[in-house]
Amino acid sequence: MFKSGNGHLPIVCGIKTIRRAIQQQSSALLFYQNRQLELYASKEAKRLTLRQLVYFGRHMNEERLITSANYVRTELPIRIAHRLRDLQALPYVVVTQEGVAKVYELYWSAFEKLRNYPKVTSLAENDRFCQFVGTLLNEHAPVIPNLSLGLSLSSPHLPPDKLDSFMRRMLISRISRRVLAEHHIALSDTFSGRGRETNGEPHVGIIFTGLNVKRSVERCSRLLKESPLWIMSSSGPSDSSQLPDVEVNGHSSTTFAYIREHLEYIIFELLKNSMLATYSKHQNESSTPSIQVTIVAGEHDVGIRISDQGSGLPFHDRLSKASDLFSFSHVRNATRLEDSRLGALRTASENGLRATVDEQVGNWHKAHAQDPIAAETTSSELLHPRIGIGLPMSNIYATYFGGTLDLVSLDGWGTDVYLRLPKLGTNLEGIEV
Amino acid sequence: MMELLARYESTPPRPLNLAQLLSYGNPTTPESVLSSGSYALAELPRRLATRVRALEALPFIVGTNPYVTKTLNAFKEGFQWLAIHPPVTNLRENGAFVEQLAALVQRHANDIPTMAKGFQECSRYMSPTQISDFLDGTIRNRISIRLIAEQHIAVSQALDFPGNSTAYVGIVDMKCSPKSMIKMCGSYVTELCEATLGGSPAIMVDGYIDATFPYVPVHLEYILTEILKNSFRATVEHQAKLRKSGVSSSTIYPPVTITISPPTANGAEGATYLSMRIRDQGGGVLPSNMARIFSYAFTTAGRGSESNSGDGGGPYAAQHIGGSASVGGDDDDAGNANIFGEIAGKGLQTGMGTIAGLGYGLPMSRLYANDDTADICKRYFGGSLDFFSLEGWGSDVYLKLRCLDEAGDSTI
Repeated sequence: MFKSGNGHLPIVCGIKTIRRAIQQQSSALLFYQNRQLELYASKEAKRLTLRQLVYFGRHMNEERLITSANYVRTELPIRIAHRLRDLQALPYVVVTQEGVAKVYELYWSAFEKLRNYPKVTSLAENDRFCQFVGTLLNEHAPVIPNLSLGLSLSSPHLPPDKLDSFMRRMLISRISRRVLAEHHIALSDTFSGRGRETNGEPHVGIIFTGLNVKRSVERCSRLLKESPLWIMSSSGPSDSSQLPDVEVNGHSSTTFAYIREHLEYIIFELLKNSMLATYSKHQNESSTPSIQVTIVAGEHDVGIRISDQGSGLPFHDRLSKASDLFSFSHVRNATRLEDSRLGALRTASENGLRATVDEQVGNWHKAHAQDPIAAETTSSELLHPRIGIGLPMSNIYATYFGGTLDLVSLDGWGTDVYLRLPKLGTNLEGIEV
Repeated sequence: MMELLARYESTPPRPLNLAQLLSYGNPTTPESVLSSGSYALAELPRRLATRVRALEALPFIVGTNPYVTKTLNAFKEGFQWLAIHPPVTNLRENGAFVEQLAALVQRHANDIPTMAKGFQECSRYMSPTQISDFLDGTIRNRISIRLIAEQHIAVSQALDFPGNSTAYVGIVDMKCSPKSMIKMCGSYVTELCEATLGGSPAIMVDGYIDATFPYVPVHLEYILTEILKNSFRATVEHQAKLRKSGVSSSTIYPPVTITISPPTANGAEGATYLSMRIRDQGGGVLPSNMARIFSYAFTTAGRGSESNSGDGGGPYAAQHIGGSASVGGDDDDAGNANIFGEIAGKGLQTGMGTIAGLGYGLPMSRLYANDDTADICKRYFGGSLDFFSLEGWGSDVYLKLRCLDEAGDSTI
């Protein structure tokens, strides 16, 4: 950032010292300002169902859009306030840790900004509001890796159950705020004709009303096969033909209303795991067995079963229950504290992590576009971040509107994953009130 | 009798050590057979005493039910005979002992259906939890009793007829082949299915089809048969439903696919397990019905207290393979058709519930509900069974069976 000129250096030092001083001062201030926070935290979050989100967004007019803006404006700080109180309840030693401290700071700043934001009364003001919220979302991109890093390092101070439930609440709330914000921004875009690129698929805001599961699966598997990830990683295949194909069977024309980003994140992560495992097991053979994806439209759920022949869960995970694999705690899953993982988290903390497919693909292309040789050294962390967040995040996305994610290992043969997502859209968001 | 019971009751049974049990047959010598006999005489009375006590602890009204009384008396007799039996010191005495032991095992063959019938009649005097707790205990106890008894009988016979399969160590076939078992059970279930439902799906086997592992064949036979019955029936009925609603016009049944995974070490434990996945397209199970699959299904069966003498007894009577469906104990071929009819009427709970009920030592995990109490880490004798379903498509059953070689420290 500061490229040249010795003249800059004293200012950098100066800024750092000043900032530290302000922080110390502000944390003292914060204690006495907590009343405001408590006020917001005492209000209940208003949970919505997918159906409500769709219904509200279908019949848009200026008045409703403004109502939506103010709903988001008042609901977001309430949900943030709940999480802030959660953070405040953690042991002091945990929140002063690297990572967690940063998250606390981010949340507090977002809370202050939101609660002080003036009421939205016109379309122009709504536009500005959307921009404001969009910026806020971007600023919060480092939350997941920072939190994950901070909590991993804090594992000695927190029993695994508490750690898991805290992390879960944080992530679920985060998803919920993003859903609210992004949905509103998308609705505003549609209303003012700034419609997004959706390939003609019908949608209301961020909810795709006719989401074709097979198409999503094919999209994810194509992205994975085409990614430069494999080429750059030393343990990966040298070309995509060595990667297993993905075959779809079952009720292949199944469609339902869901948030496409959520569905595709889960499928992407699961397919990624399956592809890696299958490739590793069969790399010395002439052909690679394909991954079988079965799509089922049930009465209440859409079921997706992903079966691979990747020889099953890794050795040290075999005694785990599925719930352990979804855990953020290192007590339940010792790999979380491996150095490579922590390193990857630190890198991700700097760059941010939104847990979306687009983001991952974007990262790959970004690095690939750079000088490939230089990129290789950073690539292994950036491109192939075995952060270990895929399964826990997938689980959170899956359960957000009341779905389930299950894993079974046929040790020595392969793994089967069962994803069930409710298709009626009548379940409430899984956030705490 | 009371004193005898009291004496044996005070020393609880030692956990069954599999390695020790197998050691009597490997190699089979006169000495090992006699050691096996002493082991049996030491361990069996204690376990039978536990059974007697558990039965006597049931509510009085339940104890007066003729089926329950019959079972209690059988156990008391067996216990007494074993408790006062003199030590077996030579092969001739062992011969007589084995003959009686075999008869005892045979007498107790119908215990579960008998008790089930009794409990069904007593269902209003006991809560479902009480019943399932009692049955759980009975079944665990039963596995160990049968194992010890049958192992001793087997090694004694092996000594007399040494020419027989050297791959066996008592009742354990060291090279049990899932492929052959699937073929055998498959043809039985196919015939049953054709006869009662008019059609049947094919079975496809993939994975490591030639894998073998040390196991007790009759256990595997039983488990496979039960699971296949469920899958076959579900497939045929689901296909019929699809045809009726015009969704499908196919006359072919989607096959049941069984994938075999080779014996694989499991984590740090040192034990190896062979896994199998039985996958069908039988339409799956509704989430609301998942709980029933693993229950003993007394109250959901919809059978009142009226008892048809031949085919009563709830799920258990119907499921007793190769034996009688009635308490009287006659072996009736035509009875097979009735058994299947029973299953068709009852729905899935008969299959799964009876695997649990007949005590093949498979703890059930109900991962659909992410049930934390389902402890798939509990590795005891048989392994585990997991069940997953895609509602509207089909179900998968995952079997994990422990290799019964001497490695590992398996206890019951």
